[in-house]
Amino acid sequence: MDGRKIAVGLMLAIPTIVLLALPLYNRTTPVLFGLPFFYWFQGLWLFIAAALYVAAALVLNRIDRE
Amino acid sequence: MITTVTVAVFVVLFAIFTALGFGGSRWRKGNLSELGQWALAGRTLGPYLAWFLVGADLYTAYTFISVPSALFGVGSVYMFATPYVMATFAVAMVTMVTLWKMSRDKGYITGVDYVRDNFNSRTLAILIAITGIVAELPYIALQIVGMRSVLIVMLAPYFGGTGVAGVSETALIISFVILAAFTFWSGLRGAALTAIMKDIIILATVVVVVIAVPLSIPGGFAYAFKQAAATAPTIFHKNIAYATLPATLGPAYISLFILSALQLYFYPHSINGVLSAKNVKSVRMSTAFLPLYGVGLFLLTLFGVLVYAVPEALKMVGTNGSLVVPAVIASTMPDWFTGLAFLGIFIGGLVPAAIMAIAQANLLTRNVIKEIKPNLTKEGETRLVKWASVIFKFLALAFVFVVSPTYAISLQLFGGILIAQTLPALMIGLYHKSLNKNGLIAGWAVGILSGIYFIEVANKFGQINTSLMQSPFGLLYISATSLILNLVIVYAWTYIAKAVSRPKIVLPAQQA
Repeated sequence: MDGRKIAVGLMLAIPTIVLLALPLYNRTTPVLFGLPFFYWFQGLWLFIAAALYVAAALVLNRIDRE
Repeated sequence: MITTVTVAVFVVLFAIFTALGFGGSRWRKGNLSELGQWALAGRTLGPYLAWFLVGADLYTAYTFISVPSALFGVGSVYMFATPYVMATFAVAMVTMVTLWKMSRDKGYITGVDYVRDNFNSRTLAILIAITGIVAELPYIALQIVGMRSVLIVMLAPYFGGTGVAGVSETALIISFVILAAFTFWSGLRGAALTAIMKDIIILATVVVVVIAVPLSIPGGFAYAFKQAAATAPTIFHKNIAYATLPATLGPAYISLFILSALQLYFYPHSINGVLSAKNVKSVRMSTAFLPLYGVGLFLLTLFGVLVYAVPEALKMVGTNGSLVVPAVIASTMPDWFTGLAFLGIFIGGLVPAAIMAIAQANLLTRNVIKEIKPNLTKEGETRLVKWASVIFKFLALAFVFVVSPTYAISLQLFGGILIAQTLPALMIGLYHKSLNKNGLIAGWAVGILSGIYFIEVANKFGQINTSLMQSPFGLLYISATSLILNLVIVYAWTYIAKAVSRPKIVLPAQQA
């Protein structure tokens, strides 16, 4: 299988895989802006996910062009 | 603060909005083939501006009302909405692009067109279409609950003595009449023309509210979480976990987040929006950016806890969680801005409800009625679509009463259980085209029936306030259980049918 497609798959799957690992972030500390870790960690992943998805979209658009 | 200014701002902006919507239907003759033009902006504007506007569609009554309400009334498990929106865009980037490419080659307009063509089964196509139509009903009901919540908070000061019941009923009637009139006369064309105004007002509301409100509360989130832990038992007469997720709710959290992510793009209104896009690359790119819009949803969810730090708002809310966001806004923001924000939330329910109703009507004519009665005239079709959308709205209204407003999110989750049962044909079928059509029908039937049965049992055959069921793994979103049953049937059937139909040696005598 094309190495680029595997990379795309990973970029799309990583945010979901990380948030499936509930025990990783289901705790109150460290607190940020008064928010328990459980909350701000998930909020933070929205930004990381957007970055990864955009990278994936760039690669996919290039694959489509070829 | 709610003053006459608040109401005046709301009314004037709504008048402008309505004028745009109704004017639109006269300005150019409506073209029903453009029904799916949900992402209107995406076609005519550049990709960045398109992203900016399309993202506003994420903000419906689900975001503004139901999720914060559920966090307030049930606790941290409803934080699942954040990972859900994050994951759903990854799903869309893969599945919607596949569906889009197939549709371009074969001329599909709805997802059901694909099912009809690929599995060559009229029965299956009609069942999937009807499922989509019915699943939109509770989602529309959720939007009506949202519109009502805004009106309740805004009108409460004017009703004084007559009490909550009077306000609530008046608000519901107003919401419903406006919604029905709006869809009947201006349809999606009206919704599309008002889209830019709607998007700008909604985005302004979200940005200002999620930043200004937390900052205006002394002690901020830290104080709110402390107050929530202390005050919740006095309101709900039980402890509610806010700071973290109780370990027993892990399976519920995971199943809600994953299943919701799989379901969202397979609602008829979402599929139609994607299929109407002209360029798959811009769809893919703008979808990739969308998790950033989830930040607004994430912060709005937190209002379910933030409300505990605003005593005035907490008093307005009482036990009706659906009032959380409007009440917090009214208690912390200046009167004119409250009017603007209320309008944003109101049309944030109105426009999606209209779009959903039209997607239903479209599906009904194209994939159900025309299958049965292929010689329908153009005029007959248009008339049918219009009236169907009105009738569907009355059916949606009925759903408003089967759920208590605090748990309105269960309406969307109930619709989701139904949508999940179409995934084997609509989503898995995209990649595994040789699934057996009779197996898909049987799986669908088992999925739907078990889903309805489980939800009735979970709610003791009363008001639908939860969509979670007991299982050996702890509480699970019913959608997961029913989809698994569905898939077991589909795959078992497919493999057995294949084994049975293997070419046998046929004796010459039998051939005659």
